Amino acid sequence: MSAAVAVGVLVAAAVHLLLQRGQLRVILGFVLLGHAVNVLLLSAGGLDRRAPAFDGAGAEVADPLPQAFALTAIVISFGITLYLLGLLSADGPTGGGEKETGDGPSATAGGEGETGGGPSATERGAGGGER
Amino acid sequence: MILAAVLVWQVVLAACVPLLSRRLGRDAGYPLAAGFLLTAGLLLLPLPVVLADRTVTADWRWLPSLDVSAALRMDALALVFALLVLGVGALILTYCPRYLGREASHTRTYLLLTLFATAMLGLVLANDLLVLFVFWELTSVLSFVLIGQGRPAAGPPAVRALLVTSGGGLALLAAVVVLTLELGTSDLGRILAEPERLKGGPAWAAGALVLVAAFTKSAQVPFHFWLPGAMVAITPVSAYLHAATMVKAGIYLLMRFSTLFGGQPAWKQTLLVVGLLTAVLGAFLALRQYDLKALLAYSTVSQLGLIVGVVGVGTPASDAAAILYTVAHALFKATLFMLVGIIDHEAGSRDIRRLSGLHRIMPATAVFTALAAATMAGLPPTIGFVGKEAIFEALTEAHHPRWTAPLAAGLGVLASVLTFAYAARLVHGVFTGPLRQQGLRPPPLAFVAPAAVAAVLATALGPAVTLLSPLVERAANDARPQGDPPYLAFWHGFTPALGLSALTVGLGTLLFVFRARADRLLRRLPTSTPFAVWFEAGRARLLRLGALVARPARAAGPATFLLRPVLAVPLLAVVAAVGLGPLPPPVGDATRPGDAVLLVLLVVTLAGLVTVRSALGAVGLTGTVGLLLSVWFVTAGAPDVALTLMLVEVLTTIVVMLVLRRRPPRLPPGGAPRALLAGAVLAGATGLAAAAGTAALTGRRDLSAPGGFLLAEAAPITGGSNVVNTILVEFRALDTLGESVVLAVVALGLVSLSDRVARAGRETPAGPADPVLVFAHRLLAPVMLVVSGLLFVRGHEEIGGGFIGALLAGTAVGLGHLAYAGSPAPLLGRLRTRPLLVAGLLLCLGVGLAALPLGRPLLTLGKVGLPGGAALPFSTSLLFDLGVYLIVLGLIVAAVRRLDVPTRPAATGERR
Repeated sequence: MSAAVAVGVLVAAAVHLLLQRGQLRVILGFVLLGHAVNVLLLSAGGLDRRAPAFDGAGAEVADPLPQAFALTAIVISFGITLYLLGLLSADGPTGGGEKETGDGPSATAGGEGETGGGPSATERGAGGGER
Repeated sequence: MILAAVLVWQVVLAACVPLLSRRLGRDAGYPLAAGFLLTAGLLLLPLPVVLADRTVTADWRWLPSLDVSAALRMDALALVFALLVLGVGALILTYCPRYLGREASHTRTYLLLTLFATAMLGLVLANDLLVLFVFWELTSVLSFVLIGQGRPAAGPPAVRALLVTSGGGLALLAAVVVLTLELGTSDLGRILAEPERLKGGPAWAAGALVLVAAFTKSAQVPFHFWLPGAMVAITPVSAYLHAATMVKAGIYLLMRFSTLFGGQPAWKQTLLVVGLLTAVLGAFLALRQYDLKALLAYSTVSQLGLIVGVVGVGTPASDAAAILYTVAHALFKATLFMLVGIIDHEAGSRDIRRLSGLHRIMPATAVFTALAAATMAGLPPTIGFVGKEAIFEALTEAHHPRWTAPLAAGLGVLASVLTFAYAARLVHGVFTGPLRQQGLRPPPLAFVAPAAVAAVLATALGPAVTLLSPLVERAANDARPQGDPPYLAFWHGFTPALGLSALTVGLGTLLFVFRARADRLLRRLPTSTPFAVWFEAGRARLLRLGALVARPARAAGPATFLLRPVLAVPLLAVVAAVGLGPLPPPVGDATRPGDAVLLVLLVVTLAGLVTVRSALGAVGLTGTVGLLLSVWFVTAGAPDVALTLMLVEVLTTIVVMLVLRRRPPRLPPGGAPRALLAGAVLAGATGLAAAAGTAALTGRRDLSAPGGFLLAEAAPITGGSNVVNTILVEFRALDTLGESVVLAVVALGLVSLSDRVARAGRETPAGPADPVLVFAHRLLAPVMLVVSGLLFVRGHEEIGGGFIGALLAGTAVGLGHLAYAGSPAPLLGRLRTRPLLVAGLLLCLGVGLAALPLGRPLLTLGKVGLPGGAALPFSTSLLFDLGVYLIVLGLIVAAVRRLDVPTRPAATGERR
């Protein structure tokens, strides 16, 4: 049951972040989704057996195959997270959030003023010109 | 064997191009031409065998499970086309050195031309449908690259040529599939040996598809419009690909499949109608051109049409005529292209209205142009005359139905009359009249020589056509074994064909004499054929449809399109709740007392994460979630997963910090209250669905069968006791390799992203080093490295392995980067992304491939015995893991260095 609860709260938090404004939130939401899938993988192996898989089988030894999958998944999602961060960084120091003035659920928010202490208008122009 | 040797030799030639080009510059064409002649010589060695109606074959098992082999076969038909490819290729390669500029590097051009010749050879020598298709596509792709290289204006015509020819390629692939499925083999020799096995619907389908493939490649109406566009390529490419060889691939295909489909009246009639219409239309269009290259392009369209029409007659004489005219056309059209290139090069224009009187400056060029044009016009004594005679004779034999013969002959004569007129116009327009340009110089001898050789050859082969006869007759018999064609001769006596030739010359002369009036008439015809317009309109519509389909994915914010997959999760849960039958009961007790504590902490952290407004806080809380989960993984019996996750969290946090350093400290507001509420509701529903799914679908069975096998057998098989690690580096090594490639791609992506940013000029000088961090780095980095090495080495037996070791070393890299604020840190500061990636990938691949010579499948790792009876002290999987280690480290180096853009010193190149 604990795995189900963990997956549920992780997914809920991830979706909540994904659907908000701001690229950083999307990236963090993606990280949480990765965690949720890892828990799901281990749970698929059966969490009633929880001894580490060293030296032979036993009634209590965990299934090693989902663990190998989870390891692969962690490293791949690490790579993707880094790439998303790279995209965020390539957007320039102004932050990606204020550019997303699309028709998403959050389109009505006028959030630019809140990014207080942020960059000057010229820097923003340079960042925008990159795209 | 000789066939394989020929192809290998051609590839070797291609491989030598960079070296030759560096040594000799543009003169690299000469040794390459010699190489081509050598290839031709090799192919001529088995000439007696070929002429004795036997074939030279070679084959290797390629895809045994599909019964496909890499089979080659050379009969006379293949030999004729192969000699054409190599002979014209050698001429073009001797022409290139004087045509191409002295300064620029021409490695690419020479390489592509050599590879193209190889692909053409493979195409004509293929004895398996799949091999044929592969080489067919290769020629299309190389043609595209050769057209498109250089000028940006060449892009659209190159794309159009590619779209049309590769569309034909798809048709050929479909034909290959139909034939292979219907006949149960892809062996071309066997298929052609028993043509009667193919009948009914599949025969019609395959025949139609082959026709489409051939018509696109050989620029027949309505697909002809790509060929004039392809003239944006440099002249040697136009001469070689788009006059002499590639466009003949369609003709080859038609002749090759004559045995199979030639008995069908529909096949013959289609060829006749399409071919002769193309011949007349192309000739009309050619007569209207002022640009010499465009004139020659439309002329090529027209003459290819004539050949296609003649193939459609389907008698031994017609096959022989088609082959002979293919050879003649390759000779004179390549020559004309070369000469037009010379005129363009020396006089600076190809416009017939601007050129005149050039024979005063370049008499040799004028003479050879006249010879080649006479061949094109079909005047005696050239090979063009013999070829035209043969064609007229063949066309008068077309009697299916009976009234076809006069119509076919009439259209053939009409096309030839027009051909005569534009040939005369070409020579007259360029060379007669007063010399209007100043300061022209004659072209160097070496420039004219290849064209001269071809022009003289084209002229001399008319009277000496008997030299070609045995080969051409044999080839005609190979195309369609139905008796020997009439003996080719220069003089046949007074035949109807001679009368048609005389008629052609007479009418052509009239058309030339009254050219002013003819011009006015021609101008009244519609200016462009509609097919190109239709094609472009269709393409634009298709692109618009694509844009329409993709529009939802191009919303400004990610939330819009992330919404869709997210919505699918609760929907799926509803479907499952309705449709899923009774579930087996849960097995065992999947909860432990400690779980509750961790879950409470997890919920609290996540609640903080979704409400926090500080960017730093959000990152910290995300890291905390990861750490909580890794603790939980330890209690769940997955120490490797836990350790990896922990290190990944630390590294992610370091990298995010680097990215965030110059970004606003607060997150933007999440959105309007209503949108936030809607998002929260959806998030709750999705979370509930995920939880329900996890509860319903997991924990309801015992240990899986593969899991049980691995637990029992991993240690005995691999000698490693850490089962999870042995899965990664031995049982599922191919997956791990794929994953490493993904990481390498990400690293390269980061490098190129940051290069783009750096080019936009946003660097600031490196900041001062932080003394506290420097001290910490000095103290910790060596320890981390030693531990990283230990973790790596013991990975097979205990917790650790390549990923974990590299992540720890990467943490040291990140610490050093933070401490020295961008200037290279001691110890690890000099690591570079690309060498690490290359070394890692090569190591992984090398270890994986090393299993093959030992007769074991790819990526079989394990202990390796040494010759002396001893064994290596470690398993080769350790080397594989080292490759993974290097790749992961490369990724981290890329991330740490490249994502810290604003404080990077102003340099882009040095860190590659």
